[in-house]
Amino acid sequence: MTSTGEAWAFWILATVAVVTALVLLLARKAVHAAFGMAASMVALGAIFLAQQAPFLGVVHVFVYSGAVMMLFLFVVMLVGVDHADSLVETLPGQRFWSTVLALGLAALLMTGIGRVNYTGTADLSAVNADPGNVPAMAGLIFGRYVWVFEITSLLLITAAMAGMVLAQRQRLTPKATQREWSERRIRSNTHVAGLPNPGVYARHNAVDTPALQPDGSISALSINRTLKARGQVASPVEHVEAEERIQREITEGRTR
Amino acid sequence: MNQEFTMVEINYWAIAPLLVVVAGALIGVLVEAFVARASRHNVQLGVGLVTYLAALVVLLAKSRTEHGLTMGGSVVIDGPSVFLMAVILCFALLSLLVMAERFGGPAADAFTPMGAATPGSDLERSAESAGWGTTEAVPLMMISVVGMMLFVSSGDLLTMFVALEVLSLPLYVLTGLARRRRLLSQEAALKYFLLGSFSSAFFLFGAALLYGYAGSVDIARIALAIGAASPVLDGLLLPGVALVLIGLLFKVGAVPFHAWTPDAYQGAPTPVTGFMAAATKIAAFGAILRLAYVGLSGNRWDWEPALIAIAALTMVIGAVMTVTQTDVKRLLAYSSIAHAGFILVAVMSFDVTGVSGAMFYLVCYGFTTIAAFALVTLVRHEGSEATDLSQWAGLGRRSPVVAGAFAICLLAFAGIPLTSGFTAKFAAFAPAISHGGAAGAWLVVIGVLASAVTAYVYFRIIVTMFFEEGAGDVVAITPSTLTTIAIAIGLVLTILLGVLPGPVLEAATQSAQFLR
Repeated sequence: MTSTGEAWAFWILATVAVVTALVLLLARKAVHAAFGMAASMVALGAIFLAQQAPFLGVVHVFVYSGAVMMLFLFVVMLVGVDHADSLVETLPGQRFWSTVLALGLAALLMTGIGRVNYTGTADLSAVNADPGNVPAMAGLIFGRYVWVFEITSLLLITAAMAGMVLAQRQRLTPKATQREWSERRIRSNTHVAGLPNPGVYARHNAVDTPALQPDGSISALSINRTLKARGQVASPVEHVEAEERIQREITEGRTR
Repeated sequence: MNQEFTMVEINYWAIAPLLVVVAGALIGVLVEAFVARASRHNVQLGVGLVTYLAALVVLLAKSRTEHGLTMGGSVVIDGPSVFLMAVILCFALLSLLVMAERFGGPAADAFTPMGAATPGSDLERSAESAGWGTTEAVPLMMISVVGMMLFVSSGDLLTMFVALEVLSLPLYVLTGLARRRRLLSQEAALKYFLLGSFSSAFFLFGAALLYGYAGSVDIARIALAIGAASPVLDGLLLPGVALVLIGLLFKVGAVPFHAWTPDAYQGAPTPVTGFMAAATKIAAFGAILRLAYVGLSGNRWDWEPALIAIAALTMVIGAVMTVTQTDVKRLLAYSSIAHAGFILVAVMSFDVTGVSGAMFYLVCYGFTTIAAFALVTLVRHEGSEATDLSQWAGLGRRSPVVAGAFAICLLAFAGIPLTSGFTAKFAAFAPAISHGGAAGAWLVVIGVLASAVTAYVYFRIIVTMFFEEGAGDVVAITPSTLTTIAIAIGLVLTILLGVLPGPVLEAATQSAQFLR
């Protein structure tokens, strides 16, 4: 039987792990999902620690909350800038039926596993004393399961190759230099002086604010395409109004 | 530290075929890095062919007799594993010949010039005109073959899980690399990947529960634990068995878990579809047979009814959905679902003849399937594959050889006498009648009815091809010698296994005994 302290630790950590795992699934923003995943993994690592498996617990936190999370965040940052996800559900009633079936599966598993009444004591202290926590793991990984361990390397090779095949855009033509760009502009006689800068106003200048054309309309060319895709373009109206206010004050001062 | 580290005993001859294919895959990776782009296609093809042939030779010459457990119990070399590994290598060899088809162009015709380029972009067009190709497909396929060979020979659930991943991951990537209709192909790859990872998670969860029950992931030890029947942990057994079987049945495309099959088969490059249909099925059924007959047969009364229901559903839904299809690749996908049901009937007989029947069926079905999908790649409309059935109308008049060859494949799928389909169905259904009891007999009745339904579909296609007028712009183009060889081998074996099934059936019977 588990001690009271262990039971408390389990219920608290398990609740945290499950709730944060649900956050990972249900969060709208990728960053919230990433936090949910990290928290869930830390809670699982803590459960390993409570089970007298310090190596596994620490590795779990290091690998998942550290390395995997970093990769995840990098991918979130790099990918999907001008891709929009369509959130239209094509299967009618799919949400309802999948919920029903998931609950059914959960009920089946719980009734099955809930019948188990394990009476032994879970204790790793003998193994942890001799040969020790890490040597015992090493003995399994490089002993009994050495073949599995070696074959796993094929997964890494597959992942690396798949990444290259699916994501590496190789250049077929050399990248155009600044000089070539300039020559091309002059030859075609479009935007000979380069594309317009983003807005520079009396009290404000920033890349996310479009410039104004002489007639007061917004110049779409002055804004970076990535910002446009993200919907992060600011409106120049307030800066224009501020400028007009200053102008008014100056004129007022002059006439007074 | 008192305990000395003991290394596991390694029988290198037993695992030599696996090591040969691993070495081939690694050489293929190096070829990608160091060989000039223009000659990569031929070099990769050579590496692939030599690898598969060498592995086959080593397997048949040396590993065949090395029966036993090795690598500490991770790898089991016994009759079924040797037989299935040999068949997987043969299928890989034929599929590679079809995959390498160039139709006179600079790169393999089935694969995209650049997987990373956005479909329809300038980059894609310039890669195409530069004659680039995805030669990485060959080493990826070799890695997948390693996974399949390990899947049928794994002695514990952990090895089985890793083998499942090793065989699946390259297939997910290969699915998304079609040259034409790339958005469809990428969608198929994503669906296959998502559903496949779900099924892997099911398998892993089940394996964990079985470990909790038996205290070991070894299939033999699980069998011992079931025999000893501890009432305390009994609650873990059935959920564990169910979840592990769900993971495996997903891979064969049995019915509640079949949703990925039509999309993945339609979207994948057609030669890859042929390889998936033939080789993945044989690998997954190899694992199902080993688990059902060696590991879990002790409590089969508990899970047999569910599997019988799945077999019946698979046959019925596979057959009925085949009728409604208008796309050749989707049609063959649903037909492969129905065939998975027929093989499950043989599995459910729980007799050594059931093992040989299922293995013989897989051999027959695989050779016919690879030939059929290779023929689908030949039928073209303005350069791209004409997969819509209405486009096939009148093909028999314009290209009688291709249409005739496809008709032979369809007759075999339908199970017409004098084709391999008939002997295969006989080999699969006979043990169910003699050993499967009443349930087995009912399954056979359903199987025969389902065959009749699918036969109607196949005959309808034959009628469309030969007796209907069609637009004249759909033609069958002439394949290279390699593809012709692959199709010819498939067709010859389809007929030969129907007329003279003796030698292969004998081989299957002799290697049907699992090592316990």
